[in-house]
Amino acid sequence: MSYVLRRLGFYLLAAWASLTMNFVIPRLAPGDPATAMFARFEGRISPEALVALKTAFGFTDAPWHVQYVTYLKHLLTGDLGLSYAYYPSRVSEVIGTGLLWTVGLAGCAVVISFAVGTMLGVLAAWNRGGWMDSVLAPALAFLGAFPYFWLAMLALYLFGFGLGWFPLRHAYSHDVEPGLTFSFIADVGRHAVLPAASIVVATLGGWMLSMRNTMVAVLGTDTLRLAHAKGLPPRQVMLRYAARNALLPNVTGFGMALGFVLSGSLLTEIVFSYPGTGYLLILAVRNQDYPLMQGLFLVITLAVLAANFAVDLLCLWLDPRTRAHA
Amino acid sequence: MRPAASLLPLLLLTLAACSNEPRPRPPGTLFVSVEQQSAWVRNFNPLFPGAGSRWPTRAGIYECLELYTPSTGGFTPWLATGHAWSEDRRTLRFTLREGVRWSDGRAFSAEDVAYTFQLLRKHAALDAGGVWRFLTDVRAEGPHTVAFQFSRLFIPGFGDLAAQPIVPRHIWELVADPVTFTNPSPVATGPFTQVSLFRNQVYELGRNPYYWQPGKPAVRALRFLAFPTNDQANLALVEGEVDWAGNFVPAVDRTFVSKDPKHHARWFPLYGSTVFLYPNTTRPPLDDVRVRKALSMALDRERLVEIAMYGYTRPADATGLNDAYAGWRDADVAKDAWVRHDAKEAARLLDEAGLIVGEDGLRRGKDGLPLTLDIEVVGGWSDWVRAGQVVARDLRKLGLQAQLRTYEFGAWQARLQKGEFQLAISWSLDGPTPYTFYKWMLSSATVRPVGEVAAANWQRYGDARTDALLERFEGTDSRDEQQALMAQVQRRFSETAPAIPLFPNPSWGEANSKRFTGFPSEANPYARLSPHAEPDSLLVLTTLTPREP
Repeated sequence: MSYVLRRLGFYLLAAWASLTMNFVIPRLAPGDPATAMFARFEGRISPEALVALKTAFGFTDAPWHVQYVTYLKHLLTGDLGLSYAYYPSRVSEVIGTGLLWTVGLAGCAVVISFAVGTMLGVLAAWNRGGWMDSVLAPALAFLGAFPYFWLAMLALYLFGFGLGWFPLRHAYSHDVEPGLTFSFIADVGRHAVLPAASIVVATLGGWMLSMRNTMVAVLGTDTLRLAHAKGLPPRQVMLRYAARNALLPNVTGFGMALGFVLSGSLLTEIVFSYPGTGYLLILAVRNQDYPLMQGLFLVITLAVLAANFAVDLLCLWLDPRTRAHA
Repeated sequence: MRPAASLLPLLLLTLAACSNEPRPRPPGTLFVSVEQQSAWVRNFNPLFPGAGSRWPTRAGIYECLELYTPSTGGFTPWLATGHAWSEDRRTLRFTLREGVRWSDGRAFSAEDVAYTFQLLRKHAALDAGGVWRFLTDVRAEGPHTVAFQFSRLFIPGFGDLAAQPIVPRHIWELVADPVTFTNPSPVATGPFTQVSLFRNQVYELGRNPYYWQPGKPAVRALRFLAFPTNDQANLALVEGEVDWAGNFVPAVDRTFVSKDPKHHARWFPLYGSTVFLYPNTTRPPLDDVRVRKALSMALDRERLVEIAMYGYTRPADATGLNDAYAGWRDADVAKDAWVRHDAKEAARLLDEAGLIVGEDGLRRGKDGLPLTLDIEVVGGWSDWVRAGQVVARDLRKLGLQAQLRTYEFGAWQARLQKGEFQLAISWSLDGPTPYTFYKWMLSSATVRPVGEVAAANWQRYGDARTDALLERFEGTDSRDEQQALMAQVQRRFSETAPAIPLFPNPSWGEANSKRFTGFPSEANPYARLSPHAEPDSLLVLTTLTPREP
């Protein structure tokens, strides 16, 4: 139990550190948001508005430590402030427009990629030298090495534009009423295929290779030799003895990947016009929208930490050695 | 491994559910692509100019008193039927249209107009045009007359007053803070006021049930799909999903117009702001007008517009004015030689300014060191980056060590505004007359010291003779006198060359007339085709007619 508490303490400390970084880093960037916002109009509004804009945003030249205390206070009350880029909408509202879609799309894609990739890795290691090991693994690694943007554009062009099998953009058709109806869910699924598949294809090779390599090492251990010697069915040896023991590095990686789901699908969302948080992040950076940036970083940070904590607990269950130390 | 086993069939199921039948479109619904967003945020605040409100909040949902259209060069009466100056030019009276109603059925009156301007006075952040710098009071003189009291002679102020979107007093009185109010369900006088659908990827605006122009708008509803990038928006345009757009489309005639020449149209008139190469005139040798003119003459603008702008525009002339000011342009000034390519004369001017070519072929400054010039542009803006490359190459031919430097947008803006640059490519400012344009080019009142943020006049150049001309311009409403004064200002601009004009920007507009007719075009230029161009969108939205019943 003390192990769990220690980990929890560590994560709280990490959360505080990253929140502080969130505060500092945007303020080190050159330029200021009112200026950037004014500039977006490219001369279509009067320069007199510049002063007015600064008034509106309440740019105080308050010292950093005062701003920092205000920032922490607001965070604790769940107040993420008003977005500059979407002024005067609330940051929480802006993030809310995209969060569910990103979690749904990238979350599913990561889970699928992890599950399928790990399974392929198990099979490849079990049948070492077979076609999976010698053809599929390098082929997937090759695909994963392509720049993701290019891969996604290619998928969009071939299966969306060329063959017309899938929609070119968005998370659902604009004339379908959202709701828990079959037609809506099927529509969402249809829209998710290309973006999800492109993430899966780009990341599958990584999971497969890492699982395969760990598994090969585990296969060479005495435990496995004993399992074989006992005459256990090969399937049981493969899954319960070899795969379970080889799974740890992948599970750790899975925790990281889950945490980065929110930021990592940025390119996917751009290529497929998916209404998620990744694009919001670019927009926030481009407009020096500190509150939105901080809000997104907060959500990402908390997601990464939570996912890692969950993986810690999972490892505790998977690996008896962690329990021995606890 | 069980999760994988159960997820794979699910994936296959969704694959099988795929079919791509073209979906029927709701009749009379105009699909517009103006803003590039990944998801829509519900904001219809017309008063805060900062950002964030959905198109067409400021010209389509809300309306202003009179509409200025650069394509015709004139004002169209709108919520006001006309205006008149008092004898001493200190009071401007607008006569308001009778029978106008708000979309909740209440009558529109002079009280609403006065109240709107009082809001701007109370909340400085809303006063984008800075009208309270020249106003002392706004008062309703009866239900259909509103009077503006001026603190000084300032005829150009009319344009700012006429363009202000007007809000209903009975609604905004109840709003606690009009600056942060998102106005989710607008009550307005415009043709489209009813938010009939609002989701993160799509929103739809329906007709105002009480619109004051009988029988208008003919369009049943406006629909906006979220496209986060130009590529996605262009794809939708080419595919026929979008009826009206204002995107930059590369090779537009080949990629869009030729797909359906009968219905697909584009119109890129040169009504956008002029793109300039700004020299920082506080830094030697750029403080020398001979050097600025030499840099200008070194440029091959014909090649520059071909390479940077796909030939969509023309080289700028010596007035720097775009085509929206065709009626103001002084033909003699426009012909001045310093914007024409003449490398020999450019070299002679540099020699004369004391920037002599050394043995290594490089020009040296007065300190004897080779002269280096950095040209600053925004990294991602490909047209300007290409323009910067051409400029740098042309300047290097003169023996100047010119380098293109790209910056992230925020950093570029900060450097430009604080005067921490040598040469930079940027836009210029426009208004209903060339007054605003030249004020931010030449007026001493707009010069800020280096290190202090300047909204424009980044070159930091002030000319006392122009100041006097602009002041006289502020005090006259005689078009002939205005014209004569502006001709002299143009002459001063050409003589002093405070900034180097490159080319006027096109105003991007594309239309698909398969489902709607009445789009503006070169043959029918009642407004700009670009939906970005306010307030022209009001004219277009009330003119378009669906083809289908």
